[in-house]
Amino acid sequence: MKQSKELDQIQDQMRPGVITYQGFLGNDTRKLRDIIESDDEAVKRLGLTHRKIARRLREFREAGKKGLSIPVKVEDAYEVRSDSARGKLPCPFMHAGLFAKAYTIVRCLETEGEIIFTDLNIHLIEEHGFYGGRGSAYRLDPERLASELKVRI
Amino acid sequence: MTAFLIALAVTSAVTTILAVLMVIADAYINDYGEVTITVNDDKKFTVEGGSSLLSTLKEQEVFIPSACGGRGSCGLCKVKVVEGGGDVLPTEEPWLTDEEKKDSVRLSCQLKVRSDMRLQIAEELLNVKQFTATVASLRDLTYDIKEVILALDEPGSIEFKAGQFIQLEVPEYELTDEPVYRAYSIASPPSQHNRIEMEIRYVPNGICTTYVHKHLKEGDKVTINGPYGEFHLKDTDKEMICIAGGSGMAPIKAILLDMVEKGSKRKVQYFFGARAVKDLFLLDEMKALESKLSGFKFIPALSEPDAEDKWEGDTGLITEVVARHVPDASTMEAYLCGSPFMIDACVKVLKEKGMPEEDIFYDKFA
Repeated sequence: MKQSKELDQIQDQMRPGVITYQGFLGNDTRKLRDIIESDDEAVKRLGLTHRKIARRLREFREAGKKGLSIPVKVEDAYEVRSDSARGKLPCPFMHAGLFAKAYTIVRCLETEGEIIFTDLNIHLIEEHGFYGGRGSAYRLDPERLASELKVRI
Repeated sequence: MTAFLIALAVTSAVTTILAVLMVIADAYINDYGEVTITVNDDKKFTVEGGSSLLSTLKEQEVFIPSACGGRGSCGLCKVKVVEGGGDVLPTEEPWLTDEEKKDSVRLSCQLKVRSDMRLQIAEELLNVKQFTATVASLRDLTYDIKEVILALDEPGSIEFKAGQFIQLEVPEYELTDEPVYRAYSIASPPSQHNRIEMEIRYVPNGICTTYVHKHLKEGDKVTINGPYGEFHLKDTDKEMICIAGGSGMAPIKAILLDMVEKGSKRKVQYFFGARAVKDLFLLDEMKALESKLSGFKFIPALSEPDAEDKWEGDTGLITEVVARHVPDASTMEAYLCGSPFMIDACVKVLKEKGMPEEDIFYDKFA
């Protein structure tokens, strides 16, 4: 199916240099609609929803925030640090408002795996089911999120 | 077949003509010619119109702070445009309060110079200069914080207030195809006119911090501009509380070293928060200040020391430590530097301890 003009415009906003220098799409050449659909299918296969994944990310974000930029242990299984860089970003889907450049680093103590996400990532997943294009620095793979962060079904 | 070729030729010719017309139209429509920019009813620049106000001013060596390089995502480059700004653009809307709109404040990176303009720019911004410098020294303070010392080349001297920041230009490299600027606090005291010291914490995927931590080498030439910022020591005798974490050490260190050099007698408690010993740095230097600055006490605190740390100092979140050490803050003044999370939590504690909000000064990384 053809991608709507609205999604074309949003995909343009996601290109490098428009909202962020690196953009949101990495080296993914697919249409935005296909990127979203592919991740949506993956999330459904996991028996999850975008909201459940976003809620889990927010739990880590809130736990990290309490550490006041210092790593804190969460559930005895993760080390979490939430911090912030100067500046704010708009949502590429053209939602009103701006998102602080706040980021959270979750390190799984068992696997040593590290997942980094921003406040904007949480919003993009929760409201738009968008996890980033392949090769994007801020791509969050749904399968990896589900397994590393133990997102409950 | 002939009809097809004729149709193809006609289509190609029409497309070419349209393309040429568009190029010509673009050249005329976007040619604003020379325009005059008047700053503070005093300085006048005659410039070619068509570029953003931010970049036009930069070409005239008027440096407006911008942490996003003109992408409209930091909201720092606000300028009062008294005349010639036109209507507020949709890309400026989220950044401007109603009061700022009424006061003709605009986001200079979004506003194009199309006609004569009258601007009002804070005098201190007119003193901002661009400098070339050489990386004199790089040192790992912790696993994710690097000390960067720059020796100024041209101009060879800078005037600033302890607590202010500069902007470091990152050239094109694998993460950016155009130069970008990021703001960093100066850690050295203002008496050191020919060098700038910074403490830069690595931000995952950060364009500038990745460059500094993984690419910058001693001897490299860099460009900076500054100084900027309203965060500096106020001229009072009030007892001070300083609170920082991570690279928030930088402006506080500059303030303290400046106080030592000026023989300040003010009482200061400096709370520095970290998780474990591996996150602490410059401990000896800060402790040494206790003998140089009468009434100074350095209180590092760990939120979760590792077993091997054998830490005997204060423990807990920095807000808890401040609350334990400061029974009444009503007559004190506070200087904070760190993330918005830390600043917000500290402001809350200080207010609970009776400190008036107007006596709390901070450099919030936001």
